[in-house]
Amino acid sequence: MELLGRQEVWSITYDHALGETASSFYTRIRDEAAIYGRRSAGNGRVMVPPRSFSDETLLPTEDWVKVGPGGKIEAFTMVYESFKNLPPPPYAFGYVLLDGADTALGGFFKGVDLSDPAAAAEKLKIGTRIMTKFAAERKGEMLDFWFEVDSPAR
Amino acid sequence: MGLKVQPGVIGCTIRPVITGRTRSLEEIIYDTAQMALADAGLTIDDIDGICVASNDQFDGRAISVMMASGSVGGVDRDILSTPSAGEHAFILGALRVATGQFRTQLIVSWSPTEVSSMPEAQRLGTDPYFHRALPLDELSAHALQASALEHALPGARRAAEAVAAKNRAQGGARPEEGTSRWPLTPSMTSQPVTGAVALVLASPDFIAERGMTKIAWLQGMGWATEAGFLGDRDLSTAPALEAAARQAYAMAGVTDPAHAFGVAEITDATPYSELLAYEALGLCRRDEWESRTADGSFRVGGRLPVNPSGGVLTWNPVFCTGMIRIAEVAQQVRGRAGAHQIQGVKRGLAHAGSGFAMQYQSAIVFGSEVRT
Repeated sequence: MELLGRQEVWSITYDHALGETASSFYTRIRDEAAIYGRRSAGNGRVMVPPRSFSDETLLPTEDWVKVGPGGKIEAFTMVYESFKNLPPPPYAFGYVLLDGADTALGGFFKGVDLSDPAAAAEKLKIGTRIMTKFAAERKGEMLDFWFEVDSPAR
Repeated sequence: MGLKVQPGVIGCTIRPVITGRTRSLEEIIYDTAQMALADAGLTIDDIDGICVASNDQFDGRAISVMMASGSVGGVDRDILSTPSAGEHAFILGALRVATGQFRTQLIVSWSPTEVSSMPEAQRLGTDPYFHRALPLDELSAHALQASALEHALPGARRAAEAVAAKNRAQGGARPEEGTSRWPLTPSMTSQPVTGAVALVLASPDFIAERGMTKIAWLQGMGWATEAGFLGDRDLSTAPALEAAARQAYAMAGVTDPAHAFGVAEITDATPYSELLAYEALGLCRRDEWESRTADGSFRVGGRLPVNPSGGVLTWNPVFCTGMIRIAEVAQQVRGRAGAHQIQGVKRGLAHAGSGFAMQYQSAIVFGSEVRT
């Protein structure tokens, strides 16, 4: 028999409240071109991205700490499919432990040719030093910054 | 510490892949629940409570227990839903029997493929503050974990390739491979399929009253959850699974896990997930991964057959793969695992891992004896 289907496309808009902590993280990126974390009460760990409380101690975090812009790669992957609301693929992204931070920040890696994955993976290998770069015009969002492999000092 | 009342699996149906479009999702869930009840020799009137688990994004139905209640017999009956992970429905149902307030439980989980993009549906699982602007789906998270493991342990890639080959061969070498996501190759992943699974649990007095045999007794279980942000975790380790295993083994009286089981089913979302589980479950140290995967220790016929079903790398109904691992081990202990039955299984181990780089971890021990 003839089997039918029903295609549906839902377009629902959410207006998520970022709260004071995430708002401050993004406005500092926008206005200062700098990454800040929050120091956790109890264990002193600097959490990046910042949280208003620690999920380890369950205490409120205490103060802002400027981290980076240098850091090192903790994990990375390369993605070849397109995702909605993101720039065109391929992407390299992963997690970076910025200098002065105790947790790693997710972000895109740029400046590496991804057409040869094995060669790109060698350049992005874990432990590699990176530098955080900021867009000239910033909107206060994740795409305002990215990571580039730090060139060796000449 | 054991459970106050020890549940046993008395009925089970595993549908790791469902093809065609002759049945709607609600009808698939109905079929699955009915098959498990029939396997137990029960009707819905014998069931004291129902636990279901599904993923609203995959289902395309918010609070999907609303539409599933009728399919599983939940109308005017006790029914609860666990959206966190398929295996959590099993844990909830087992705990309900263990309270002594329920003699039977029907557990059902499912995972359809009706959404246009599983990766996009999975991205909705990330927080809207820091991670949705990244191409972060479950496969990306698994790939990040694989990259961390390859860095932590030279030789991990060779071991992962051996695990992938083992599971694909044991599953009948399903030809369709998954998606590449560095460092994961298509043979290390599998395309999502539609699947469903159901179990019936009962208390010892119910089982005795009905004179039932072929029981998989729940001897131990443990579960734990890792941090939600991947950057907070050391992705080359699995501390939540270590905690879950400790809990399960203490309950089951297992002191030497490497030699305690006749079979294991491990959630191999990627072969790296299986390798990490070997270590966290106490089956094999990481410095032995390469040698043990090369010498066939974990193949069917080896020291401990792992994933005789073929695992997730063979069939990947994403949301219910963890509960399928639990059901597979229950069936092995019941002697009803079909073509991939391992002979003489007295005790088996199931690992259920779910979410981004296995955020949710569970370990379940089944045995053919009512007490350890």
